[in-house]
Amino acid sequence: MEKRIVFPGEQVAERPLRLEGCFAEDGKTYAAVVSVAQEDRVIPLKGRYLPNYGDYVVGIIKDERFSGYSVELNSPYEGQLSNRDTREEFHTGDIVLVKIMAVDEVNNAIVVEPRRLSEGEILEVESVKVPRIIGRNGSMLAILRQHTGTEIIVGKNGRIYLKGGNTTLATLAVLKICREAHTNGLTDRITSFLQQESKS
Amino acid sequence: MKATCQKQGNNGDEKMILNNVKEAYITDLIRKGKRADSRAPMEYRPIEVETNVFENCEGSAIAHLGDTKVLAGVKIDVAEPFSDRPNEGVFMVNSEFTPSAHPQFEAGPPNERSIELARVVDRGIRAANSIDLNALALPDGRVLGVFVDLYVLDHSGNLIDAAALAAMAALNNTRIPKYEPSSDEKKRGKLFRTESAGQLDIKSNVIACSFEKIEGTTIADATDEEEVASNGRLTIAIADGEYMVASQKSGAAGFKRQEIMNLFDAAVSKYAELAAHAKKR
Amino acid sequence: MGSSANKPQLIVDGKRVSGRGFSDLRNLKITAGVLKKANGSAMIEWGKNRILAAVYGPREVFPKHMTDPRKALINARYVMAPFSSMEEHGRSGPNRRSIEISKVAKHVFENNVLVHMFPKTMININMDVLQSDGGTRVAAVTAASVALVDAGIPVRDLVQGVSIGKIEGTQVSDLDKDEDNYGESDMPAIVSLRTGEVLLYQMDGKLTRVEVDTALSMIFEGAKIVREKQVEALRAKYESNLSEARE
Repeated sequence: MEKRIVFPGEQVAERPLRLEGCFAEDGKTYAAVVSVAQEDRVIPLKGRYLPNYGDYVVGIIKDERFSGYSVELNSPYEGQLSNRDTREEFHTGDIVLVKIMAVDEVNNAIVVEPRRLSEGEILEVESVKVPRIIGRNGSMLAILRQHTGTEIIVGKNGRIYLKGGNTTLATLAVLKICREAHTNGLTDRITSFLQQESKS
Repeated sequence: MKATCQKQGNNGDEKMILNNVKEAYITDLIRKGKRADSRAPMEYRPIEVETNVFENCEGSAIAHLGDTKVLAGVKIDVAEPFSDRPNEGVFMVNSEFTPSAHPQFEAGPPNERSIELARVVDRGIRAANSIDLNALALPDGRVLGVFVDLYVLDHSGNLIDAAALAAMAALNNTRIPKYEPSSDEKKRGKLFRTESAGQLDIKSNVIACSFEKIEGTTIADATDEEEVASNGRLTIAIADGEYMVASQKSGAAGFKRQEIMNLFDAAVSKYAELAAHAKKR
Repeated sequence: MGSSANKPQLIVDGKRVSGRGFSDLRNLKITAGVLKKANGSAMIEWGKNRILAAVYGPREVFPKHMTDPRKALINARYVMAPFSSMEEHGRSGPNRRSIEISKVAKHVFENNVLVHMFPKTMININMDVLQSDGGTRVAAVTAASVALVDAGIPVRDLVQGVSIGKIEGTQVSDLDKDEDNYGESDMPAIVSLRTGEVLLYQMDGKLTRVEVDTALSMIFEGAKIVREKQVEALRAKYESNLSEARE
């Protein structure tokens, strides 16, 4: 079936399904955001990041408190990093990679395993594009690393950390992936783009 | 105000927990087709209207819907006409949710709910041409203004219907003071408030019927507690027993086309009962 | 509803002065994503109406005590710019009319937005009327619906509407300024075509039962046309995501 663009209120499935960017009503599933639909697969073209258990995200230390830190997550919701879960000391403005350990019913997130990201660059993209930047089983990310020699950490929240190697090329490639996220043959096109650009 | 409009999104610092508890029991009753005061879904509470409750203003009335009390005071003043309507009198409705009427009403400038109430009442009376504004022109080029102030005294729900009833009853019992133009045309003449130049002529009686939707069931004349549980309201103002002259949907709930038509019919069927209370004494 | 004084003729030779048929809408164009900073935005050009809708959020609630632990708070703000009308310079900021419109617009989106997905947050919907030409409230909410979708905020449907009036005894769709000022009735509404629900409903004038029924039918007919324009606007912005990229 053809890829098609669906708009909020349009039916995407005859039965109730739990799909990202969709809602179920009266036994059917409808799009809630502009999405690309292909059979039962629906990929949102836009949306805000909501903390999700197990996600690795790139956050910014927002507040230092007695009991720990609040971490800004490029989302309407913050993460809480407890002193019990880290021996390291952070300061407001520090950039950290964290894992989301728990999310309560009002989207408060508990984050753990902080890793300070220093000296690199941070690129912010729409979080809905992240799966394309990573690629199937990390294939796209591998191509990016291979051609740029850059250390790339992709946060599920749309923040990307780039360090070392040809960061300019890595940035351009990531932005290109975002622009063309839902086109066919993206992997091939990015590969040839990287090959061409790294030669010049 | 906050307690009753929680469902309508105007959440303030209301006691959310208390509201949730109340909401649960009301919803539970409605689901079983019952109401806390054992009324039928479309039944109004006892209606009572007192008119001429004050002497100083030109018209006044208090409408009671069960425990709800809304006072309407009418003042007649000399006014300058609007530039685009030089021969028409001025008609204006304002409302005040007094802090006495509910523990969660606060003093201060009119909030969105009191503005909405005043404007819905205003629209119905204006659209029905209840008051012949052309008859309010004065010989010296000035006009009479009819100013209706709605005071919510006791908020036990369904303020719009009570306010519309009070306004209509007060207008039906409003005297027009005698006016003597000044010899100097630039100067405003004098109103003799104790000398009557007759009664304000009311051409058409307008009543408002509000329906609240709770869990898919629609009820008339909701109490304040029922309003807390409500998802939305539709108000329909009826003139002369058959015309829709104003309507307003409030709150998140949607209404289907057929529901609107059914509620129109319900409002028409309530007209006689409510209008009888609004009429001239 | 206007007085008879200075009333222009609204229907000439069985047609509206503008040349439109009774159920024709004025020219309507919507552009999605016209602002950079806002999370979502839309510009609507409908007749001479020019209205800008901008959406921010979901974000932290301010003031904090308004926070609802169960859902996102919707703040809607409809205002007319002081220079927006043909008449004299208006006062800036909200007046009683615009406060009321903001309220009923807010109710539309309390229904339409999946607010329970975003507890403890606030969504701000700003609607600025830059030029007014009758029917501003339905135009503003129609634009706001596009802006919300442009912001990626999950909604149950694109919502839209039209205002149905009565001029010289005839029911017509989409009143312009004169038809609104001098007509006998006005019924602005916003609907969800998917559910068949009316989400904003106001009425002013004098209508019989049959006329109310007809007006409701005209609202849904008009909404279908308006929805197409909304989809067109969003398609223009998002379709490039699907097309083959140019090297």
